[in-house]
Amino acid sequence: MLKGVRRRTALTVLVSLTASMLAACGSGSEAGGDLTAEPVTLRFTWWGADDRHKRTQQVIDMFQKKHPNITIKGEFKEWNGYWDSLATTMAANDAPDIMQMDELYIASYSERGALLDLNEAKKHLDTANFDQKALATGAVDGKQYGLPVGLGMYSIMVNTDLLAKYDIPVPDDTKWSWDDLKKIGDQVSKAGGGQVFGVQSPGINDTAGLSIRARQQGKSLFDQQGKVVLPPEIATQYWQYILDLSKTGVAAPPSVTIEKASAGLNQSATATNTAAFGFWWNTQLTALTAASGAKLKLLRLPGESQGKPGAYYKPSMFWSVSSRSKHPAEAAAFVSFLANDEEAAKILLTERGVPANLKIRDAIAGQLKETDKAAKEYLDTVPVSDPPRITPKGASTLDAILKRKTEDVLFGRTTPDAAAASFIKEVQSEVDAAK
Amino acid sequence: MPAKHLGLVVIGFIMLYPVLWMIVSSLRPGDEIFRNPGLILDSLQTENYTEGWNALNPSFGTYLLNSTILVLGCIIGNLVSCSMAAYAFARLNFSGKRWWFGIMLGTIMLPVHVIIVPQYVLFSQAGWVNTFLPLIVPKILATDAFFVFLMVQFIRGLPRELDEAARIDGCGHPRIFAQIVLPLMKPALATTTIFTFIWTWNDFFTQLIYLTDPEMYTVPVALRSFVDSTVATSWGSQFAMSVVSLVPIFLAFLIGQRYLVKGIATTGGK
Amino acid sequence: MSALDELRQLRHGGVQVRKRDNKAAFWFLAPWFAGLIFITVGPVLASFLLGFTKYNLIQPPKFIGFDNFARIFSDERLHNALGVTFTYVLVSVPLQLACALGVALLLDRGLRGLAFYRSAFYLPSLLGSSVAIAVLWTQVFGAEGLINRVLSFVGIEGRGWISDPDTALSTLIVLNVWTFGSPMIIFLAGLRQIPAVYYEAAAIDGASKWSQFWRITLPLLSPILFFNLVLQIIHAFQSFTQAFVVSGGTGGPSDSTMFYTLYLYQQGFSRFDMGYASALAWFLLLIIAAFTAINFWAAKYWVFYDD
Repeated sequence: MLKGVRRRTALTVLVSLTASMLAACGSGSEAGGDLTAEPVTLRFTWWGADDRHKRTQQVIDMFQKKHPNITIKGEFKEWNGYWDSLATTMAANDAPDIMQMDELYIASYSERGALLDLNEAKKHLDTANFDQKALATGAVDGKQYGLPVGLGMYSIMVNTDLLAKYDIPVPDDTKWSWDDLKKIGDQVSKAGGGQVFGVQSPGINDTAGLSIRARQQGKSLFDQQGKVVLPPEIATQYWQYILDLSKTGVAAPPSVTIEKASAGLNQSATATNTAAFGFWWNTQLTALTAASGAKLKLLRLPGESQGKPGAYYKPSMFWSVSSRSKHPAEAAAFVSFLANDEEAAKILLTERGVPANLKIRDAIAGQLKETDKAAKEYLDTVPVSDPPRITPKGASTLDAILKRKTEDVLFGRTTPDAAAASFIKEVQSEVDAAK
Repeated sequence: MPAKHLGLVVIGFIMLYPVLWMIVSSLRPGDEIFRNPGLILDSLQTENYTEGWNALNPSFGTYLLNSTILVLGCIIGNLVSCSMAAYAFARLNFSGKRWWFGIMLGTIMLPVHVIIVPQYVLFSQAGWVNTFLPLIVPKILATDAFFVFLMVQFIRGLPRELDEAARIDGCGHPRIFAQIVLPLMKPALATTTIFTFIWTWNDFFTQLIYLTDPEMYTVPVALRSFVDSTVATSWGSQFAMSVVSLVPIFLAFLIGQRYLVKGIATTGGK
Repeated sequence: MSALDELRQLRHGGVQVRKRDNKAAFWFLAPWFAGLIFITVGPVLASFLLGFTKYNLIQPPKFIGFDNFARIFSDERLHNALGVTFTYVLVSVPLQLACALGVALLLDRGLRGLAFYRSAFYLPSLLGSSVAIAVLWTQVFGAEGLINRVLSFVGIEGRGWISDPDTALSTLIVLNVWTFGSPMIIFLAGLRQIPAVYYEAAAIDGASKWSQFWRITLPLLSPILFFNLVLQIIHAFQSFTQAFVVSGGTGGPSDSTMFYTLYLYQQGFSRFDMGYASALAWFLLLIIAAFTAINFWAAKYWVFYDD
């Protein structure tokens, strides 16, 4: 008897599992319809740390006051846990209605049909004050899967206190080359006596540096179809540079470099005042200044004046709506509120990056701290070119692959040549595997 | 004897260094933690504790309460169901015993990461997401094979004459189990209680997946909410709340370990 | 004849043929059966079936036959992960158990302040899987950590032990040994179950402490030692949290701390390849089952049961 029961139950469980895994998009109200007056509950999820959680909750409360029939349930997570639980809820067809989305993942989710094309909800979502270039960063094939929240630019942060201490002038970033960075870094390392180094190596947390290197030479990581088109010699040059920094002592020894770079912002070389130059997003200036207690200044990347400008706007994150949301119109209205409401913006400020909404950017200008102003000014003044294509579906492990190759190079487990070739091959096979 | 103590103290200090460092750092202004590490405090600051307590919404008390409810449910579930299953495996003679035992062990060999997705689908169909049910019901149903196995090993170590004698006196299995075996396996029950407490208190992954509303968050989920690799982390608050969350498990351990001492050694000898 | 032999004879002499008690067993196992049927079987079967599919968690799974299993044999990063995992299991389990047993014996009886020491030695295990461990471990093994400060006293230049691929795995082994609290507690509980009469009898026979350990403690503790061995091996094969937290989820540097389950997790959740992850899980199950079977087979020769 027992056996019979077990078999049947197992079967039922399996059938229901498959059924829900197969379930197509839930059909709720239309994204283009009117906002309902009925009570509606929306789930809204984001990653971040405690400061962001607090501010976001305040904004949710403000929205609920304006729309008493809509309840927003905020679900905060940290970065890693966020993606685990998002993927799991997607599998069960139980994803939150509104989510914070990252550039690495947006194609992986949207091209598999998980995200709503926000154009369908245009009626409720105001994008008039967004720069077209910025909007384009959240679009795939003309469909708007994400609304950029804040913008950031890859930059160099220099610790001017350290330079002053060693009597080294701050370089002129409108002209400097990659070799200049190496030279001045060397001066710092020599003066630092093994305690302070010139440069915190790039290539550990972000592919932006590699991408910019390629863009300065008129190339890119991916073409519009998502194929890897990075010329191997540019990747080789990139890793050769990193290896040179390490070998000549401009950067700290490999194990120290890796440790400081992967430990997170607070323990980084910039935050602990053990490297004069570091590669960061301009929006991290405030956090790093607080952590280091030193004076930090934003510089353009080297090489921007020699070739084409490689700099570009990168959305710090997007607002996306689940394609399976039962209330897409209300969800879009909430996103619109997050992106356009001035009162909300005055609470959120630049915690999620310098706002992509130009009107909002100006509206909060008066409230910004000195460092936030510098980050905003950097964004407003440094020349940029068109943004690169969104990281294609399947390549969400791009940064992880880059880090592994950099480690292999730094510890002499491979040559820059070999690292370049295998990087390109590996990324391409990730993209292919996801097709 | 003093040499033994000295040795233990030295080993203890080395082992406890990271813990001490965390406690010291929690009493330091947040931005100084990584700039001048070391065990010596210049000043004593308790701000991290007040800030950490209120850093998230709701405040930390809610998470402590949620974790406590969860832990109590899991302990009761494990104690009752695992000890029953263990008695059957250790003392009863039934068809296919070896086979069932193998299956029981097999259930702990699959990594949780591939089970969690189908299991989430299952519980979400049952409407259990964002309740404690997906976390407690499995314990009530003895799915924690670790403890079943642990208790089996303990029962098999108990002298058989005791229950043979009871059997001759006409006792049925329920009575032998409740009146002879359970009292004798107090150390195992204490171990189960302590471990269930600690592991549930620290378990992050399943609690993160099943509890979606911050009102339902537990201590480990909340503790990680301080730490996001993409932004600055308030390590001061994080350490302070880590210390706070250590207190209950440490107390649980202090109390629980007394029962470890009351094994058969005291009843059977001296 | 020693006390132990006497005892053994006494017990095994009295064994009688017993009837089966299926009915009682069913009731005692009822909760466990229910759990197996309603909670365990479905997801386990589902993960097995998913092993034969391409499944990205968002779109429905697609059947692809044995492709995922075939990939196991050509996946070089996986082979590296297997190497890392085997090293970890074979080194850290014996070390951890030796520490746990050693300290448990020291702390068993006849020492002042026992409760305090026990708790102190257990404290690290309370923290073992906390997210703070990443930072704490850097304080010990980092470039400016405790180890390097001690080394610099003797004039040796250290390195960032955690972020050097040659030493990163060793720091995780130390981390595992550091959290020997759980097996220690189980040993302590087991030691408590050994009737004091045996030691008294052995003392009367004039047996030394050393021979008491070998002839009474070890045989009578063997079921518990066996339990710890089996479970710690399973646990070590599945080791995930510590490597995840210390390496920030990457298994780095250079994949040197890429444990099997960490790799599996990355396949499922970072690469959205739950089909392959499921296949990997079942492959791991085979490996663990083989190790466990060997353990049970070997147990016949050294584990002493009372039945």
